[in-house]
Amino acid sequence: MSTNIFAREHKIQAQQTRVSYYFLLPALLFFVVFVALPMGMGVYTSFFKYTMSEFKFIGIDNYLNLFKDEIFVRSVKNTLIIVVGSVPIVTIFSLWLATIIYNMNSFSRSFFRAVYYLPVVTGSVAVVVVWKWIFDRYYGILNFVLQGLGIINKNVAWLGQVDTAIWCILTILLTTSVGQPIVLYVASLGNIDRSLTEAAEVDGATSFQVFWRIKWPTIMPTTLYVVVITTINSFQCFALIQLLTNGGPAFSTSTVMFYLYHNAFKLFEYGYANAMGVVLAILIGVFSALQFKVMGNKIDY
Amino acid sequence: MKKLLALVLTMIMVLSMASFAVAEGTTTVTWWVFPTFGQPDGAAPGTYERTIADAFEAKFPNIKVEIETIDFQNGPDKLISAIEGGTAPDVLFDAPGRIIEYGKNGKLVSLDDLFTDEFKADVASEDLLGACSDGTTYWMYPISSSPFFMSLNKDKFESSGAIEFVNLEGDRTWSTEDFLKALDKLNEAGELGGSVYCGGQGGDQGTRAFVANLYGARIANEAKDSYTIGSDEGVKALGLIKELVDAGKLEAGTDIVAGDEIKLYVQGILPYSICWGTSAAANNPTDFEKISVPFPSDDSVPELEYLVNGFCVFNNNDDARANAAKELIKFICDDEEFGPKNVLATGAFPVRTSFGNLYEGNPEYELLSAFTKYYGPYYNTMDGFANMRFEWWNMLQSILVGTKDIPTAVADYTTNSNAAFAK
Repeated sequence: MSTNIFAREHKIQAQQTRVSYYFLLPALLFFVVFVALPMGMGVYTSFFKYTMSEFKFIGIDNYLNLFKDEIFVRSVKNTLIIVVGSVPIVTIFSLWLATIIYNMNSFSRSFFRAVYYLPVVTGSVAVVVVWKWIFDRYYGILNFVLQGLGIINKNVAWLGQVDTAIWCILTILLTTSVGQPIVLYVASLGNIDRSLTEAAEVDGATSFQVFWRIKWPTIMPTTLYVVVITTINSFQCFALIQLLTNGGPAFSTSTVMFYLYHNAFKLFEYGYANAMGVVLAILIGVFSALQFKVMGNKIDY
Repeated sequence: MKKLLALVLTMIMVLSMASFAVAEGTTTVTWWVFPTFGQPDGAAPGTYERTIADAFEAKFPNIKVEIETIDFQNGPDKLISAIEGGTAPDVLFDAPGRIIEYGKNGKLVSLDDLFTDEFKADVASEDLLGACSDGTTYWMYPISSSPFFMSLNKDKFESSGAIEFVNLEGDRTWSTEDFLKALDKLNEAGELGGSVYCGGQGGDQGTRAFVANLYGARIANEAKDSYTIGSDEGVKALGLIKELVDAGKLEAGTDIVAGDEIKLYVQGILPYSICWGTSAAANNPTDFEKISVPFPSDDSVPELEYLVNGFCVFNNNDDARANAAKELIKFICDDEEFGPKNVLATGAFPVRTSFGNLYEGNPEYELLSAFTKYYGPYYNTMDGFANMRFEWWNMLQSILVGTKDIPTAVADYTTNSNAAFAK
């Protein structure tokens, strides 16, 4: 009797599993065709001298050449500067702003969420055009304001100087990156059990202790998500560079993604570009794994 | 319900067969166009091209033309994606730089059969014919050509006194010495100098012509097998430019490209443009009077860069489409009515001498026509040209921001460009 019940349950479960896979099938098909297959082809062709007219197996030569390529090495350094510079600032800044916004009334909260989210939903070309105008050497508002304040005495080519261009890119990246974390943090702060924070306050905990002991651990899953997504987006920084500086001046803003694009679309070195893509994917994977390892242990779901 | 479904499916099948019957015998060619043709009364891109296509379809009812407009910003990337994805257009209207590269890589149909003896004899110069070929095969069928030159803001040159050093007679050729004196005058009057723009690749022929002419350097050698700005003359010119930038007499345009430079000139911020041409003139009206001049050179005999507009046919493994595409480009370039009309729409000079003087009575075009005798060797079809362009603006940036000294920057440029040539 019990064997029959067990067998029937097993059969129903198998049937349900099968149905679940049927439901997953369309999405899986898209994933395989548009993600997994191109990724596999990217890795495969990175071992070839692959240009417009050539397709020849060359083993790991593309990878060896990468590390002899000064521009690629420079691009990796710039990418790391962007990642290391943007991730902590985006995370801290968005958490700070979200805390302020969360304590506002519902109208103001919605208003500021919309304001900070606006650059995320605005097309990158439109955002870049506005920033290009701000940084413009001849009629940009930044030069106008700084000269008005007496901070500079002549116009500065913000995007045309080695020591300022990368900071301009970082600044723009920050404005386009904080929108989503702010919205997520505001939502996450709303999920904190009020009875816990109130009990702690009654027991004499300071604001800092309430934040550090109760709020911070509770919003840790959101923080992990924000950190990982910001890291990936920063590694893939491309549109800003292409539209603003073309990687210059003197490669000071060239990133791996930009150099990859340049090799693929301007020089038709598809295999070499794919090798860069593989290296970039490995870098992103390593960084993300480290973040999961370090921060994931502190998460109590 | 089942009957209804069956009816719908049957209708779809019948309609499909009917449309196939209509389409049978008709060849459709796709034509991708950069915004090279001027549009009537500021109409949307592609409007003028549609009138050509309509006239062509009327003459060849068995060929249908589909037009897709692309821009200079994203068009080249879109083309590469289409070529590698097997969805290349049949016809492209572009210039030799990209077209010859596609041809060398086996992406195009040979146009040797269009280069008849009659056509070759009719073309204005051997250099123009050379620009359409990689040395063995013709890949581009040319329609028009025009020089790149400088445009000066007459008001600024007059008010600063710099006009004194500009030759307004004859072909308006002028010397490097006079150009430097004009820069001094502009500087004394508190005007900015021109910009050595190098924020990207676009319009880089302007900076190349400017640098090369100052002391008679060449971008490539006569044999077109080596990039040669590393010559003494080239290094001297780059040294002069760096000095002028440091002295505030020229602008280090490390943050702008040619389009920005043209905009700044048109807005009256820069006193001259080194990226001017017939297309720029047509698309950028100004509030001030302009003076067209060739680039200054040490011997007052400039070597000018020039644009060649032409068509290529992509190899889509379909002879019918390739032949239809060839008919289309012959119609656009050679038709008795549309040929000259299309040349005028490009704002350039016809490559066919038989079209005669299309700009009769236009003094500006008569001057520009005189510039054509200063056309320099056409090196845009050399191997490694795309790589050389990348190296060029990065070399200028390194020199202007001072991350490399001039000999090192030039040596790196020469080594990398020639390595790309040899690949």
